Amino acid sequence: MSTTSLPSQAAFEPASRASGAALGDDRLWRWLTFSPALGLMVLLTALPLANLFVSSFQDILWSGGQAVRSNAGLAHYAALPSDALFRAGLSNTFVFALSAVSGQMVLGLLLALLCSKVTRGRVLYRAIFILPILIPGIVIGAIWKLMLNFDFGLVNQTLGLIGIAPHDWLGASETALLSVVLVDIWHWTPFCFLLFLAGIESLPQDVFEAARIDGATAWQEFRFVTLPLLVPTLIVTFAFRLVLAFKVFDEVYLLTSGGPGTSTEVVSFTLYQRFFTEDRIGYGSAMSVAVIFIVSLLLVVALSARKRSDAVA
Amino acid sequence: MTKFAINRRTALVGIGAAATAGMIRPLWAQTVVPITIVINQSPWFESFRKTVELYESETGNTVELDVNPFAGSLEKQRNSVRTAQGQYDILIMNSGWFTEMYAGGFVSPLTDIDPGFKLDPDVYTLGDTVFYNAEKRTVTPDGKLMSVPVSPLIPLLYYRGDLYQEAGLSAPKTFAELEANARKLHNPPERYGIVQRGARGPHTVAYDFYPYLYGHGGGIFKDQSASDYSVTLNSAEGREALEYYVRLAKEAGHPKTAASDQAEVIQAMVTGNTAHIMMVIAAWSQMDDPNKSAVVDKVEFAPTPSLPGLPTAPGLGHWLAGIAHNVPDDRKRAALEFLRWFQTKEAQLAAAEAGGIPTHAAVYKEPIAEERRYRWMKPLADSLPHAVNIYQFPEASEVIAVLELGLNRAVAGEITPVDALNGMADDIHAVMEKYKYKTGELEPLR
Repeated sequence: MSTTSLPSQAAFEPASRASGAALGDDRLWRWLTFSPALGLMVLLTALPLANLFVSSFQDILWSGGQAVRSNAGLAHYAALPSDALFRAGLSNTFVFALSAVSGQMVLGLLLALLCSKVTRGRVLYRAIFILPILIPGIVIGAIWKLMLNFDFGLVNQTLGLIGIAPHDWLGASETALLSVVLVDIWHWTPFCFLLFLAGIESLPQDVFEAARIDGATAWQEFRFVTLPLLVPTLIVTFAFRLVLAFKVFDEVYLLTSGGPGTSTEVVSFTLYQRFFTEDRIGYGSAMSVAVIFIVSLLLVVALSARKRSDAVA
Repeated sequence: MTKFAINRRTALVGIGAAATAGMIRPLWAQTVVPITIVINQSPWFESFRKTVELYESETGNTVELDVNPFAGSLEKQRNSVRTAQGQYDILIMNSGWFTEMYAGGFVSPLTDIDPGFKLDPDVYTLGDTVFYNAEKRTVTPDGKLMSVPVSPLIPLLYYRGDLYQEAGLSAPKTFAELEANARKLHNPPERYGIVQRGARGPHTVAYDFYPYLYGHGGGIFKDQSASDYSVTLNSAEGREALEYYVRLAKEAGHPKTAASDQAEVIQAMVTGNTAHIMMVIAAWSQMDDPNKSAVVDKVEFAPTPSLPGLPTAPGLGHWLAGIAHNVPDDRKRAALEFLRWFQTKEAQLAAAEAGGIPTHAAVYKEPIAEERRYRWMKPLADSLPHAVNIYQFPEASEVIAVLELGLNRAVAGEITPVDALNGMADDIHAVMEKYKYKTGELEPLR
C-alpha cells in the first residue's frame, strides 16, 4: 500500500530559506526583465515631459539655423493668467466638457437601458449606435460643416420647411459653442452607451429578482437597484469622457477654428495657436504643462470619487 | 597596323548598343540629384505641379512634391530646417513666414550656393522680399538674394461683368463706388452684394482686410523699412477702413461673413451667389472652369478699390522658393538648377498656360495677355507695382494671430471696430516691445 501525503514544510525549507544571494539573483532577474519596458517608458514618456518642463522656463529663438535658449524663469507661467485667449479657452473648455459629457452620459445611459431590454436585433442596434465613434474626426468635421452650412445645410433646409429662417449655427457667437457641443454629443454618446451597456449586463440578476418579488416598479428598480449598482461604471465613464472632452481639438479646428471671436476657443486650440502657429516654444511649453496639470487634477478628483463610492458600497 | 573593318556582326552589336543607349537616355541625361519640394495645397498648386512635370520632361531631373495644407506646410518646413539634416530641399514660403526663415538662417542665400546665380531682371521682386539684409534684419535690395518668386499673389476685385452690364455699372475704382455697386446688386438670399473672408484662421480675415486698410491710407506700422515699428493700426484711417469693412459685411454682405474662409468665398462666386469678392488672383482659373463654375466667362477682374487720390493697395500674399540650409551641397545645387529654370520666361509662360500666375513681367506683354481667358493679366500687372509687403520681421505670425482674433470679433459684432482697433494695437505693441523693436503707440481711438 502506498500513501501520498502533502510535502512537509521541511521539504520547502531549502528553497524558502534561500540564501541572500539567491534572493538577490531573483530581484536582479526581475529588474533585468522589467528594465526594457521601463527604459522604453522613460524614453517615450518621461523624457519628452521633462524636456517640455525644462523648455517652459526658457525662451527659444533661432539664429544661424541653431536654437538659442535663454532663461525665462517663471515669466511664461506668470503670463498665463493675463493671456485673454488662454482664459477664454479654459472657461470654454470647462463649459464644453461639462455640458457635452453630461449630455453623453444621459443619452448613453438611456440608450443602454433601452438596448438591454431588447432581445431581438440587439446586434444590429449596437452596430448602429456605435457607428459615430468609428468615423474619423476629419469626416465628422466634413459631415457637420455640411449639415450646418448656412446656405445649403440640411439643418437650415429642414427648418425652412416649417418656416424658420436660416441661422448661421457655426458663425454666430451665441450658437457656435452649442453647435460644437451637439456634434461632440453625437460623436461620443456611443462610447458611454457601450460602457453602460457592459455595466448593466454584468449586474447580478438575483438583486433584480428580489426587487421584483418585493413588488418594485420599473422606476423603483432603476432608481434603487440599477443606478446605485452602476455608480462605479458611471464615475469611470464620466472621468474618461471628461478627460477626453477636455482635450478636444479636432472638432473645434475643423468646424470653427475657435471663432467667431473666442466663442469656441478651447484650451487645446489656444495651445496649438501659441505653440505651433506663433512658434512660441517656451510659452507654449508652459501652457502645455499647465494643461497637463489641470487634466491630471481632473483625473485625481474622478479617481478619488470612485474610491469614495467603492468605500460606500 | 590594324585594319579597321565592320562586318555584319559588329554592325548588329553597334546598332544594339546604340538602341540600348537610346533607351536609357534619361538616366545619363539626368545631370543633378533628385530634389524634394515642400509646398501647400492652394488654388495655384495644379499649375505648379504641371510646370514641375514640364521641368522633369525637359531635363530628365526628378522632383518630388510634398503637398500639405497651409498651416501643415509651415509646420513641416519648421521641423525640417531645425534638424541637422533637412528633409526638404526647396521650401515654398508664404509672405507671412518667409522672414522667419530668412532671419533664422534656415535658407541659404542663393548666391552662396552659386556666386554666378542672378535673378532674371524681368522677374518681380515683390517688395524686394527676395532679398534679406541680416544686419538690418529686414528686406532691402542691398541684402543677399534669398529666394525666387513662385507665385506673385495679390488680391484683385472679382465682379460679375454680366450683372454690371445689365445694371449699367462700371468697374469700381473707389470704396464708395464698390459699396454703391454692392448694395445695388445685393439681393439675398439668392445673391449677396459682396462676400468677404471674415473667419478667424492662420491668415484669413487679416489678409482680406489689408486692401481696405492700406487702400484707406492706413497701416499697421509707421515705417518698417526705417525700422520704426510704432503701431498705427488704430489711426483715423484704420478706423474708417474697419468701419467700412464691417458695414459692407452687415449691409451688403453675407450673414455668415464671420465664419467664411477662402474656400467658401470662392464657392460663393462660382455658384453665382455673390456679385463681388476680393480674392487672390490664384482663383481665376476656377471661374471659367465649366466643371466648377456656374458663371463661366461672366467674372471680370479689377484692381482692389481705394480712396480717391490713393493707389490700389493689395497686400502681398505671395510665395517664394528658398533652398534649405541643412541639405547636402549636391542637393542645394540641384535645387538651384530648378529655380534657374523656373524663373525663365518660357517656364513662366508654361505656368500661366497651366493656370498659374507668372512671376516674369515679360509674360504679361505676350499675346497671351490679350486673350479673353487671361483677362486678369492686365489688372494684375497694373496692381503689382502697388502691392504692399505687410510684414518685414520674423515674428509676423504673432501679429497675424492678434489681427485674426480682433478683426474676426469686430466682424462677428462681439466688439466695436474702435474697441477692436485699440485692443489689437495694444497687443501688437506688446509683441513688438517683447522682441525689442523700436515701437510706440497712438492715443487710443474714442
